[in-house]
Amino acid sequence: MPPDSRASRRATRVAAAISARRMVRSAGLWGAVFGGYIAYAAWEYATSYPTVASREKIALTFGTNAGFSALLGQGQRLATIEGVTAWRAMGVLVPVGAVWAMLVATRLTRGEEDAGRLELLLAGQTTRGRAVAQAEAGLAAGLALLWVITAAATVAAGSPARIGISAGSALFLATAVVTGAVMFAGVGVLAAQLAATRRQANGIAAAIFGASLLIRVVADSTPGRHWLRWLSPLGWAENLHPLTSPAPVMFLPIAAFTAALAAAAVFVAGRRDMGAGVLPASDTPRPHTSLLHGPAGLAVRLGRPVITGWAAGLAIVGLIGGLVAPSAARAISSSSAIERTIGRLGVQPGSAAYLGIIYLIGSALICFAAAGQVSATRAEEAGGYTDHLLAREVSRWHWMTSRLAASTALIIIAGLAAGLSGWAGIAGQHTGLGFAELAKAGLNIIPPALFVLGVGSFAYGIWPRLAAPAAYGLVAWSFLIELLATVITNRWLLDTSVLHHIQPVPAARPDWTSAAWLTGLGTLAALAGTGLFSRRDLAGA
Amino acid sequence: MDAAIRTEGLTKVFGKTRALNSLSLEVAAGEVFGYLGPNGAGKTTTIRLLLGMLQATSGRAEIFGVDCQRHPVEAHRRLSYVPGEASLWPSLTGKETLELLGRVQAATDTAYRDVLIDRFQLDPSKRVRAYSKGNRQKLLLIASLMSRADLLVLDEPTSGLDPLMEQAFRHSVTEARERGQTVFLSSHILSEVEALCDRVAILRAGDLIEVGTLAQMRHLSAALVEAEFDSAPPDLSQVPGVRDVEVQGNRVQCQVTGPVRPLLEVLAASPVRHLLMREPSLEELFLAIYGSAGAPGEVSRAA
Repeated sequence: MPPDSRASRRATRVAAAISARRMVRSAGLWGAVFGGYIAYAAWEYATSYPTVASREKIALTFGTNAGFSALLGQGQRLATIEGVTAWRAMGVLVPVGAVWAMLVATRLTRGEEDAGRLELLLAGQTTRGRAVAQAEAGLAAGLALLWVITAAATVAAGSPARIGISAGSALFLATAVVTGAVMFAGVGVLAAQLAATRRQANGIAAAIFGASLLIRVVADSTPGRHWLRWLSPLGWAENLHPLTSPAPVMFLPIAAFTAALAAAAVFVAGRRDMGAGVLPASDTPRPHTSLLHGPAGLAVRLGRPVITGWAAGLAIVGLIGGLVAPSAARAISSSSAIERTIGRLGVQPGSAAYLGIIYLIGSALICFAAAGQVSATRAEEAGGYTDHLLAREVSRWHWMTSRLAASTALIIIAGLAAGLSGWAGIAGQHTGLGFAELAKAGLNIIPPALFVLGVGSFAYGIWPRLAAPAAYGLVAWSFLIELLATVITNRWLLDTSVLHHIQPVPAARPDWTSAAWLTGLGTLAALAGTGLFSRRDLAGA
Repeated sequence: MDAAIRTEGLTKVFGKTRALNSLSLEVAAGEVFGYLGPNGAGKTTTIRLLLGMLQATSGRAEIFGVDCQRHPVEAHRRLSYVPGEASLWPSLTGKETLELLGRVQAATDTAYRDVLIDRFQLDPSKRVRAYSKGNRQKLLLIASLMSRADLLVLDEPTSGLDPLMEQAFRHSVTEARERGQTVFLSSHILSEVEALCDRVAILRAGDLIEVGTLAQMRHLSAALVEAEFDSAPPDLSQVPGVRDVEVQGNRVQCQVTGPVRPLLEVLAASPVRHLLMREPSLEELFLAIYGSAGAPGEVSRAA
């Protein structure tokens, strides 16, 4: 083999390995979450519904309930452990995997290009098209790791006699749940070639995901519209029907779709300029300087797309929750597991209880947004942008409190958007819930996010490089504790979840005392973090 | 009048690394001061300490008499800074960036800003992400110079600029000097420092090893002598102050430090056909200083 060719192949392997390495940690983490969730879903069903009668009762309810079909997809054989496990796993993990893979794909392709690191690779023995193919190979390796961990956990969880899922079926399920990630990794890679920036790429990919989800929701919740599932990649994944009536043929459109996206991305990459996209992006927009008076205005200006995105996302969660609440409430009354969960929350089943659960999910999402704000604050410093302000007449205290104010505004806007859209969804459905209850539900999810913002800011003040992991870690830990709350008896352990300190409003009255504590402690932590930030060295990346 | 910059025993330690070791330095108001040293010598650490972005391990630093570690915002009121790394918010346009930075600094001379935009040939309507590195650097220079601040702290300000823009930069610094502004210029471009600076300080591994005017430094350093003789040259190696003697046929090249009289007396007694004597350039001074193995902490003040 000529030396040039060997060097080129080695460069290819190195580039793919870099992408894979950058993906390993999150792929491993999500693999553990996927596997753990499937194991938990199977175990919980087997424990909660030990008799045939109890299983048939819940199957009858969920099988015909439009609210739950909209959320999780159309279930099959819901009187069996296989049916419920597959239904819950596919309904939750396919979209979660899709969003994760989409963001990772744009980061490893367009993100690298935006940061200027791709140029270093392109200066070596590769081309733009090959560089994208290398990133795809790295992504594929990361997705393979996701599948391996998910599959191992699923096989292990299915093996006890009480669960009784065969290894072959477990592998099929594990493969089916990662299809969302596989397809949307492809969507992300292609969007990254079409767009001029990573942010625009994320917007394109998110729009495709949103449209796919919406089509799938309509198909699953509207009688006679099941054929619509064929129009949505998420619908194709649902049509795999793992554990119930497996349809491996559905892997064909999924594989073809992914391969087409990957090939198109390589094709487009080879025919566009570095740093440019196929879609037009104006580099000479009309200047808007009204907000640019200081760090607060700048934080709002830079964070506007994020604020809009989170507010819209929370509004959609609230709206869908409100729309399907009455029908979902009827299903809840037939589910002993959900009744037990709701019983732990101390409320009576009904529309309010369903919305209480939805808003608890909303509170986890808004906490995630707060952690994202901590991460963005750190990114400003690591990127050297902060220097331009702090070298002028802006004190560190002013800069940090301005960012905190903008982040707080984001959290409040997103919380209120969730509350008001929930009210819009439920209006006219005679649930007995009014504007005040839903507004309180929206307000109720704000304090945990403020607490996360405060703790993350405190970590930022002490050890900036650990601030984002600390904030995201707190949210992930809280979410995990809530997921396992029905089996955790240790109160101290439950109390470590920030989400455990709020009431399931509107099903229960808000606990304003806890809310005040969360807000107060979060504020104190944020102020302490600001004080510490004022006294430490600025730290680069 | 307060010095523009005064540091006393300014020290910064990162873990086990002593990035800056007991720096005592004074930059007079109105002078253009060059700050030299190889990568990792402590130049940027000094600047970030002056800006209050790093906390000093010991010692103090003042900008126009204001302690810039304790009162950074007051100190910043009279200075403007250009960082070496031109990272700016990519989604803002050049105009928006100038508006923002103008609003958060003590003053902005908008007429001068427009002059600078013309001089540096910058299109401010573009987003920062569409700028080349050189254009981002121009944007930072304009943002700093338009402040007309009493002290300009410039850290590698011309990296990425083409020769024409380098001339525009030199013109702007000369204007600043004429207006009485102080310029603290950290640079690797020695010709730039030689052309602009009244005094120069040289750092090595966190230690200040040389400070003074270029003339003073040259006086303390070796002058270069080249001589051609009609016949075999005399032995110059024993002449006081003469070193590095190289003989090629009838030609001799050497360096002389201190009084040149002994050398001239020997040359006058010899059949010299051609004689050239010149002072070292800043580059030669710089390389000579870095080539020598002076003990850390020994500062040569060429005053």
